[in-house]
Amino acid sequence: MMMNKELSIYIHIPFCERKCIYCAFVSFCADKNSQDKYVDFLVKEIKSFKTNSRVKTIYIGGGTPSVLSEENLIKIFEALSSSFNINSNAEITIEANPNSLSENKLVLYKKLGINRLSIGIQSLNDDTLKKIGRHHSREDGINSIKLANSYFDNISIDLILGLEGEKNIYKYAETLIDLGVKHISAYMLEVHENTPLNNQVESHKFIPLNEDEVTSEYEKLVKFLDKKGFNQYEISNFALKGYESKHNINYWTFDDYVGFGISAHSFLNGIRIANASTLEDYYNGVKLKDENTDKTEIEERLFLGLRCFSGVDLKILQALGFDLRENDYYKKFLHDGILKEKEGKVYFNKNYYLVSDYIISHLLPD
Amino acid sequence: MKDNLNHIRNFCIIAHIDHGKSTLADRLIELTGTVSKREMQDQILDSMELEREKGITIKLAPTRLIYDYNGEEYTLNLIDTPGHVDFTYEVSRSLAACEGAILLVDASQGVEAQTLANTYLALDNNLETVPVINKIDLPSARVEEVKKEIEEVIGLDAENCPCISAKEGTNVEDVLKAIIEKIPAPKGDINGRLKCLIFDSHYDNFKGAICLIRVFDGQVKKGDKILMMQTNKVFEVTEVGIFVPNTKETEVLSAGDVGYLAGSIKTIQDVKVGDTITSWENPTDEALAGYKEVQPVVFCGIFPVDGARYGELKDALDKLKLNDASLQFSAENSMALGYGFRCGFLGLLHLEIITERLEREFNLDIITTAPSVSYHVYKTSGDMLEISNPSLLPPQVEIERIEEPMVKVNIFSPPEYVGAIMDLCQDKRGIYKNMIYLDKRRVELNYDLPLGEIIYDFFDSLKSRTHGYASFDYEQKGYEPAELVRVDILLNGERCDALSMIVHKDKAYTRGRELAERLKKIIPRQLFEVPIQACIGNKIIARETISALRKDVLAKCYGGDITRKRKLLEKQKEGKKRMRKIGSVEIPSEAFMSILKLNDDE
Repeated sequence: MMMNKELSIYIHIPFCERKCIYCAFVSFCADKNSQDKYVDFLVKEIKSFKTNSRVKTIYIGGGTPSVLSEENLIKIFEALSSSFNINSNAEITIEANPNSLSENKLVLYKKLGINRLSIGIQSLNDDTLKKIGRHHSREDGINSIKLANSYFDNISIDLILGLEGEKNIYKYAETLIDLGVKHISAYMLEVHENTPLNNQVESHKFIPLNEDEVTSEYEKLVKFLDKKGFNQYEISNFALKGYESKHNINYWTFDDYVGFGISAHSFLNGIRIANASTLEDYYNGVKLKDENTDKTEIEERLFLGLRCFSGVDLKILQALGFDLRENDYYKKFLHDGILKEKEGKVYFNKNYYLVSDYIISHLLPD
Repeated sequence: MKDNLNHIRNFCIIAHIDHGKSTLADRLIELTGTVSKREMQDQILDSMELEREKGITIKLAPTRLIYDYNGEEYTLNLIDTPGHVDFTYEVSRSLAACEGAILLVDASQGVEAQTLANTYLALDNNLETVPVINKIDLPSARVEEVKKEIEEVIGLDAENCPCISAKEGTNVEDVLKAIIEKIPAPKGDINGRLKCLIFDSHYDNFKGAICLIRVFDGQVKKGDKILMMQTNKVFEVTEVGIFVPNTKETEVLSAGDVGYLAGSIKTIQDVKVGDTITSWENPTDEALAGYKEVQPVVFCGIFPVDGARYGELKDALDKLKLNDASLQFSAENSMALGYGFRCGFLGLLHLEIITERLEREFNLDIITTAPSVSYHVYKTSGDMLEISNPSLLPPQVEIERIEEPMVKVNIFSPPEYVGAIMDLCQDKRGIYKNMIYLDKRRVELNYDLPLGEIIYDFFDSLKSRTHGYASFDYEQKGYEPAELVRVDILLNGERCDALSMIVHKDKAYTRGRELAERLKKIIPRQLFEVPIQACIGNKIIARETISALRKDVLAKCYGGDITRKRKLLEKQKEGKKRMRKIGSVEIPSEAFMSILKLNDDE
């Protein structure tokens, strides 16, 4: 085992006060007993993992991790520090909802070494928030940032593009940046099957923005954030210099990570592992393993690299037996200025980020 | 006993579609104990999955029934027949193997177009035709009126005909009695020189080609050397047998019998339906009349979605052709679709069935182009070309005239829909011939119509305009000149050969516009704007534009679940494989059939 290898850790907390109508993640309401049981199992899972790698980032996501009781969160951190060698400058993030943040929790987070907050603002419109099943108001959102800002410097927020009636999202960004937000993830609404949103969309009770409207929302936001000095380092992620999420970048640059908790994913020594996504299976230790072949690695390197600032190294692909330059579409995309090559790496023209799936699906090996 | 020709009856059941033919066959099988109750499944002779699903009979399916009548045992060979107009040919094939036919008529629907057409076929083949009225259990049954219709419209004596409910089993025994009493026993010389008719065939992976035969003279058994008189091939019989209704090996088949014969026949083409089998050592002097070759009337291109599977498509067509002599095909090359076949069919249903069988039984993904008829194109040079692929039509300046195939159409309908039917026929360029009021409830309308209009949504329009009450039948009626033009489709300025169509000049604008609109809906947005133009020669007659793609991205790649995202992209790439490229425009396979469905959205 290599001694100098570094690792990222993801921890999934599946609990929510209630489920938002668009949510297709593994999350649910749970009473104190079930939460305790889950955390006990999670702690065992963390403790049974053996590695020599040093930890460079930790991300506690969900669900809504901020609903965790203080003692449960402490248990998790004790397990982490007893099993892992965590870098002193490690990026440690926790996700929170505006309504479940409190002064006490912020103090505790700080004490546990958490240094980055990701707050699910989603919108600053009260009607919209109500419609999509959020538990907080515009005011709650703004207050939570103000409160968080007095303890944390590195604050990220999530926004959703494409919700009904939500035009000029960039104005939310403006308000939030003025309050001190350093990082913004702006995700376009995806309507997933088996969600209440899907039913509402099908019965025309909820009318998301159409393709052209979302596109123009996105373009306006990108332009605004650029003006504010936010660098677009991935399709949906923007940050002031130095505030890019190291944890996210780790996913895209093909480095190792380990996930703990229900439905958490790991990537270790070329093997992708997914924990079960039902509690029963998870408690029985069910995992899905998917060994990367050269072909899957080529595919992953292509779309991960192209979707973010790092680009794709043509030489790495060649070493895997794939010469992108022989692909006719690639030549055409270069010629049309959709892709560009620089020092042996290929990047997207950012203007084409929104059609990236279309482009990438033409570049995948046969 | 079995050798006695007097105790054999060979018969088929003919009927308009949905008059209950397969249900009656089931009851006869059940009643004679041919298949035990336990093994019984509905519509037992419709063995193809497709047949059961569509509720129609496509293939001939013979079965042997044993029935005791007045203390004597009779062998009744039933040959099931298809009921749809496209398969008139198959009906005549089974008729040639029989001495009689049961004409089944629905007690509420009465005489329909195919009732009449099939009766004429039976009369042409000198069959004794026995009318039977079915579905007497329906509240709307009008038995006495239908008897009158049979007598007046068809001219058969129906006074004492069996009136049954095949569904409920009422009076079905009467049918068996009528078969024995009214249908003549086969004639033939059991000691004469072997003479059998191949009335159908199919391919078995273990036994080779299987011939379905009717023995007219002599006997045939395992080990015999036989000669196919038309193909002049000699085989040694490896197995003979009967259908009960599954195959059952027997020692011998004799004059009057219906059964099957196998002879390690590896080459599909060596078996010709309609051919006569005789003994190689002691051949007959005279072959049976056989069948006249049927000519396909509807054509379309069939291409594999994956070009590499061209060979598989060819094998599949060869196999289907074995028991479907009417299917024709020849190699074809399209700019848009690559290598494939131009195929000829008896009609639209036939086309639909073949394409579905290719997909289901042979697991092929195929693209079919819009159906066309075969035009006679007279060039100014004096040459005549037969064109069934619109893209091969020569330039307008080289054409002296074009002739299109016409058909004589008989439509049966309740009188209240006459106006709607006349409008439809008018719209389809029909020429009115005659109208006969058969009785208070039925009118027969005769029109001459271009076949090209029939294959373009005529049947569906007739059904919807008459709420399903009208039935129709047609027969070929030669070629007539018409003012026809070719409408081409340009995608981003490039002609797509597989989308060209030949239409009457008065309809060119409408059809061109409809097709362009339809393509706009089917072709996904591309990275650039794509103009769709319909044109005649160099003249643009319609234009639509597909605006450029603006968004195709799944933004979230969350929590390290890379595999899900990768699989989504792989799926998207697989979708691309099903696309065809015209210049730089990617078109989904479905687009090529869209000409057919122009009126779907209305």
